[in-house]
Amino acid sequence: MINSAHAGTLESSDVYIQINPIEGDKVEIDLSSSVAELYDDMIEELIRDTLKEMNISGVHINVQDKGALDFVIKARLQTAVFRACETKPTWGGTQNEV
Amino acid sequence: MNSNISVSEFDSGNTRRVAKIKDFLDKNELDMSPDIEVFVTIKDEEEMIACGGLAGKVLKCIAVDSSRRGQGLILKVITHLLNAALVRNRNELFLFSTPKNIEFFHDCGFNLIEECDGEIILMENTKNLENYQKKLTSLKKDGDLIGSIVINANPFTKGHRYLIEEASKRSDWLHIFVVREEASEFTFNDRISLIKKGISDLKNVTLHEGSDYIISKATFPTYFIKDKRQVNELYAKLDLNIFRNQLASYLGITHRFVGTEPYCKVTNNYNKNMKKILANPNGKSATIEVVEIDRIKFDDKPISASRVRKLLKEKNYEELVNLVPTTTYEFLLEGIKDDK
Repeated sequence: MINSAHAGTLESSDVYIQINPIEGDKVEIDLSSSVAELYDDMIEELIRDTLKEMNISGVHINVQDKGALDFVIKARLQTAVFRACETKPTWGGTQNEV
Repeated sequence: MNSNISVSEFDSGNTRRVAKIKDFLDKNELDMSPDIEVFVTIKDEEEMIACGGLAGKVLKCIAVDSSRRGQGLILKVITHLLNAALVRNRNELFLFSTPKNIEFFHDCGFNLIEECDGEIILMENTKNLENYQKKLTSLKKDGDLIGSIVINANPFTKGHRYLIEEASKRSDWLHIFVVREEASEFTFNDRISLIKKGISDLKNVTLHEGSDYIISKATFPTYFIKDKRQVNELYAKLDLNIFRNQLASYLGITHRFVGTEPYCKVTNNYNKNMKKILANPNGKSATIEVVEIDRIKFDDKPISASRVRKLLKEKNYEELVNLVPTTTYEFLLEGIKDDK
């Protein structure tokens, strides 16, 4: 169901997200962030919550964060997921299930 | 003020644009790499200010104009190169650059594999090396003399058999690495299965499938462009440093065995560098003694895989049969039948 996909950039205040399918139904996150000391737990939680909302598991998520704000991270992740699932998003609201 | 900056991506078939990149790289004291398929350039108005290339799964030839550094242009280049690689389903990437950029590329998600002579670095965007090292550690064998051989065996000859047999006799345990890259006449699966059949009687040997870290297009691109005779010492040194510091130390390897090389310039040069790099103390890992074993001869000429391939082409099976073990000969005969 899920392919590999990516979204975002490595530029300042943005985030580069890669998503790859893995065996099983775990969510593996590799996070590296220029603001990791302060926010790494928060970013990881945001990613897990967003994936849960979208009903996505069995993925490896690679996150290169350059100090993006939380809504940027969420938007980039949603985009990566939609690309991975080749579906069109329903933007707005929380019904972003795929 | 960034409004006139544009990014473009094009393939290496565009000779006019590739020539411009070559000029740009020259200015930045970098060589153009002949194996690049995709280029990314950044221009301000019509002036090139940054570029980068993708060759297989390797990012290289990354440069930013000296007057434009510190503006994050390289992040744009890397982003576009990553995109170019990912849409081609290449997720596990390598990157060549110079040591002063280590930290910088680390921030782009790349981990250092090896640095060589203060001139060149190889990085990867995965933790594959770490995992590979764990696997090697689990395959470690005890002994005073732990030998190693790296071969392509294209295809497996009596020469290879002799080298392995000699090394096996002199070692408590012998680790053989088979070059994994599919850049030879015979496929990796055929090459390794012929070795396996040809040495099944030797008991103190582990046959390893090669990896990106041993003579691969990632670590040693020029090895596979032999016909152009682009003998790049730096890549040879990098490959050998990786072998010694990142792989051999995990298996406790003390010796590396090689056959003398009468024909191939690249291999000959590689062997020379091998003695220099493996046998001298470097402060990072234990030294490895290099043992050259004379090639066996047939009809007064050394047996080599290139000679076998030549005879095969000439359909000179009468001579060929003397150069390869029966297992290889049977395999070659099957191929001949298939051709008919």
